[in-house]
Amino acid sequence: MPIVKKPRDGALEREERKRQRDCASLLLQLDDENPSERRWAAKDLAGCPDVSDALVERLRREEDVSVREIILTSLTQRGDERAVAGLVECLRSEDASLRNEAIEAMKLLPGEVAPIMGGLLRDADPDVRIFAVNVLESLRHERVETWLKEVIEHDPHVNVCATALDLLSEVGTHRSQAALEALKTRFPDEPYIRFAADLALKRIRTS
Amino acid sequence: MAEITIGKEDFLKFREYFYRKTGIQFDDAKRYFVDRRLIERIEETDSRSFRNYFMMLRFEASGDELQTLTNLMTVNETYFFREEYQFKCLVNSILPEIVKHKKDEAPIRIWSMPSSSGEEPYSIAMYLLEFWPGIDRWDVEIISSDIDTKILGQARQGCYSPRSVQHLPKNLLGKYFLAAGDGFQVCEELRQAVEFTRVNLMSPVDVRGYREFDVIFCRNLLIYFDDLSRRQAADTFYDALHPGGFLCLGHSESMSRISSLYQARKFSDSVVYQKSREAR
Repeated sequence: MPIVKKPRDGALEREERKRQRDCASLLLQLDDENPSERRWAAKDLAGCPDVSDALVERLRREEDVSVREIILTSLTQRGDERAVAGLVECLRSEDASLRNEAIEAMKLLPGEVAPIMGGLLRDADPDVRIFAVNVLESLRHERVETWLKEVIEHDPHVNVCATALDLLSEVGTHRSQAALEALKTRFPDEPYIRFAADLALKRIRTS
Repeated sequence: MAEITIGKEDFLKFREYFYRKTGIQFDDAKRYFVDRRLIERIEETDSRSFRNYFMMLRFEASGDELQTLTNLMTVNETYFFREEYQFKCLVNSILPEIVKHKKDEAPIRIWSMPSSSGEEPYSIAMYLLEFWPGIDRWDVEIISSDIDTKILGQARQGCYSPRSVQHLPKNLLGKYFLAAGDGFQVCEELRQAVEFTRVNLMSPVDVRGYREFDVIFCRNLLIYFDDLSRRQAADTFYDALHPGGFLCLGHSESMSRISSLYQARKFSDSVVYQKSREAR
């Protein structure tokens, strides 16, 4: 029976920090060659002022997935204007992983992302507009349907509209009915738009 | 008030959304169970229809209603040998792999979180003693933590109702428990085998000393967290695990939806999550 033992004495005692944890030192450690040091620095920086730009800057060149994850968690915890602006910039990256990570982080920040959502949905780059719709997929905000409706009413790009349409199929209500009907006439030569709009309309009528 | 009904399209829409948010999947056989609870919440929140309720559920900024519904849709009951297939996985697959790659003689460390009233960590201890031959060769430390000091006191005492032990084989009940009042008490030796500690998983100060674990059990806890807290918990477990260490979640939970830090490992008894052996 005594084979299963209690921890050695002190095994759970609070660990003495081996390195300086002041904000200036943590910023330096964010560039340490050891990923574990960078990871712990990114974690502790969540509580420091004015470090979102540094975290975003590190995120854009960080290759270790465990460090990237913790940077994203810290940025989401902070959720300040600079953190959100940094995440938006990541949407323009050529790195698909970074874009997806930014989308996932932005989904967790409804209150912070809402004020800039209109601008994102009117961005000159259709890819950024699609990513903005992707953010809406899980964004807990009362304006989600309104934003989606505006997209299918006004966006000139068929792929942006198709992405919004997929989501409206799940969240659309009678308020989107007219816009869905109109969308079919805006893209008469796109069979997918007709199919998806009809599906969304069917769902709205039967719910 | 008109009778509230949940149509088939409503059910499918809800099922799809609820799965995406919680990882909990309901098949058609659960339709009655799901409908009943949805109607209960529609009435309770005065939403009047599924459509109104679903919009509120989906877009409410606080996420409180989703949490309430999740609590209602999950059965929060703990007992000995609950989800036993994971203990089988522990002794049949996880521990053999850990000892195969072990480079030192240090004890194998297992963290069970949350401890609740102790059924899980004591089940782990019994399972190791009964079904893992390696226990003759390796020392094992079992640490079990909870945020609630009252429940930790109960866990240390180890007193349980007949209902809690109903899934235990008779011989194990006789071997590891003593009759106590209307129920049973875990024997002294087994109680000494588990270290119970108070930890708030969301507190960096609390969890900082929790390192170098080989296996972590965190079952049916993360479903009660919001998305950001889940991410933070995933980060904490990552730091607490040895490279190559394993994380065991509840049957309805999936780390793949929370974090990309872990690799899903499909063993014959269970799917568990592993920190890369190359991680530093």
